[in-house]
Amino acid sequence: MMLLMLAVLPGLFWEEPPDSAAALREAGIVSARVPPAQLEAWKQAGQLSVEAADVRNAVKVPPPGVQYRPNEASATHSPWLIASGWRFLRNPRGSFLYDARGAQVALAAAEAFCFGANALVRADRAGLKPFAEMLDFLRGLGENTGPPVADIGFIDDGSGAAGEVMNLMVRNNLLFQVFARPPRPADARLKLMVQLGSREFPLEDAKNPGMTAHEVRAKLTDEKRSIRIYGSAVVVARLTVLPDGIRVHLLNYAGGERKVDGLRVRVLGQYAKHRLAAAGSPQEELLDYTAEADATEFTLPELKTYAVVDLSR
Amino acid sequence: MQLAAAAPLVGGPGDQPSYRVVTRFQPAAKPGMPGPYPGRVVRVHAERSIDPQTDAVNREVVRQMLAAGMQSLTGERRPADAWARFIAPQDVVGIKVNCSGAPQIRSSPEVVAGIVENVMAVGVPAKQIYVYERFADQMQSVNYPSYLPAGVSVVAAEGKLQRGTVLGYDPRTYVETSFFGEDDTRSNLVRLISDSLTKIIDVPNAKEHQASGVTGCLKNISYGNFSNVARSHEKEKTFTYSFIGTLAAVEPVHSRVVLNIMDGLAGVWHAGPFSQNRRFRFYPKQLWFGTDPVAMDHKLIDLIEAKRKAEGAISIFDQSRAHLGDNRDPNFNRYIREPGHVEYASKLGLGVFDAAKIKVQEIEL
Repeated sequence: MMLLMLAVLPGLFWEEPPDSAAALREAGIVSARVPPAQLEAWKQAGQLSVEAADVRNAVKVPPPGVQYRPNEASATHSPWLIASGWRFLRNPRGSFLYDARGAQVALAAAEAFCFGANALVRADRAGLKPFAEMLDFLRGLGENTGPPVADIGFIDDGSGAAGEVMNLMVRNNLLFQVFARPPRPADARLKLMVQLGSREFPLEDAKNPGMTAHEVRAKLTDEKRSIRIYGSAVVVARLTVLPDGIRVHLLNYAGGERKVDGLRVRVLGQYAKHRLAAAGSPQEELLDYTAEADATEFTLPELKTYAVVDLSR
Repeated sequence: MQLAAAAPLVGGPGDQPSYRVVTRFQPAAKPGMPGPYPGRVVRVHAERSIDPQTDAVNREVVRQMLAAGMQSLTGERRPADAWARFIAPQDVVGIKVNCSGAPQIRSSPEVVAGIVENVMAVGVPAKQIYVYERFADQMQSVNYPSYLPAGVSVVAAEGKLQRGTVLGYDPRTYVETSFFGEDDTRSNLVRLISDSLTKIIDVPNAKEHQASGVTGCLKNISYGNFSNVARSHEKEKTFTYSFIGTLAAVEPVHSRVVLNIMDGLAGVWHAGPFSQNRRFRFYPKQLWFGTDPVAMDHKLIDLIEAKRKAEGAISIFDQSRAHLGDNRDPNFNRYIREPGHVEYASKLGLGVFDAAKIKVQEIEL
């Protein structure tokens, strides 16, 4: 059964004592999760809505971002994205904790929301305002959306190699759904099944996850990919189903430092109508919108951190 | 939308990739390339055109070279009539400069200013003339506006702080291919061309190129008019062999490039398209004229080869891996060069490659 993507809002995990409440309120924070030992003190202070959160068992995830490695030899010129989407997809019932700073905090909140992850963000003071602003934006996106769109079914054997292949597929905008075992009957919506160790994807080849991800792309073919991104190597896209169309999620992994100036997006299917919501760019409008029989395309003039485009027929 | 080709993006002839060309533009009744003078090249040499010691260009001599070259190419007695063979007063004219080696080597602002004077003399208002390039930072280092009449626009597709932006390109005109598995598989046409220009004058330099062998007329209107092209080189391998001609043949480029004027006042015989090492700069003191970019680039190959031979450097056709390496030595190069791209372009209808069919007219001032 395909899991619904729940629009779970990420929470702020705050470890400073209650006398920091003024800083939180000033930044626009109205609720927070605090360590259990501090819960009573915070409640007595009574200035914020607080709940206890025990993060000892939460899965620690790195703050999202980009490592530019111009002087490092590699098989690709693409920058290295620090992305946790694959962790969320592998463990949809998990609890996650980011340690993030400054503008990274907003990106962490957006990433968790985009992948429907149950996540807390441990922020510094510089990250409070970005977090509050992102949370406002996420609240404004409305009700839960439907299931994610997947082109590929990926059988996750739990191995490190499988995790790295999933990581690269997320970063390369190859949309997949994770299965513990091959679905029976086969899911007709999926265009390709990938199982490491199969004849098509030998374990030996998986020692090079980048090559395996390329192989997956080649077998799927670019024409069958539900979404393509042109003009940036630092944007991760995701699609979720809406009652009358599809929602395009766009995450700029360099968003903590620089916006993307112009991004061309291609989505399979013909969608005549669109509605854009872009964090930090409320007046923005899509450019060069085309809806042809096989695909819909548009240009997003700028992408700061996170944008959502709802497409409908 | 017209698909000129819709083949899968894998497996072209030999080791060349397949290209999917998407354009909504139809060819003109008489495409600009190879134009009315296939196989013809006019070369004007003037000893006083540039001072190799200071790189100062003599603007008046350049004016004379432009007049002589255009009159000789067209057979017209008056320069204005010669230019009117290509440009009409209602045209919106783009002058495609080359600033990839700027500030040391670039389409000389004196040459560009001379072209603008002639285009305006035909009756084209300044506001209908655009001097353009892909990258603003390279272009700004030349300071074209100080040489040009008010009203002429100097524009770049990608801003100084916006390298890589797609906004300056036409989202509906592109060539799609994957060279090395890169995810962004499109190279889009400069938007100014799609939206505004009716004629393009190509003003390249005379340079060797580490990847393509030479960079002249064809490369300036291909890699210089499309986005996301550096992806065609990786490690020592480059796909310039087929990509240059493929891009240059895309409509409306094929139809709207009506004239090529190669700035060979100064040139680069090694480690191009840049010119950080003065040792590899040379001074042909020439301007070349033609409508056939293939014939002109064939002669450019000859020029670069002759200079390299005189300098004791290996041929640009040498594809030995033994010569891959640090290109501070002119017998080494970072890439396996692909000067065969010029002949390949001839097979796409862009011009004449056969040396026996190329006629060069030499003029000495």
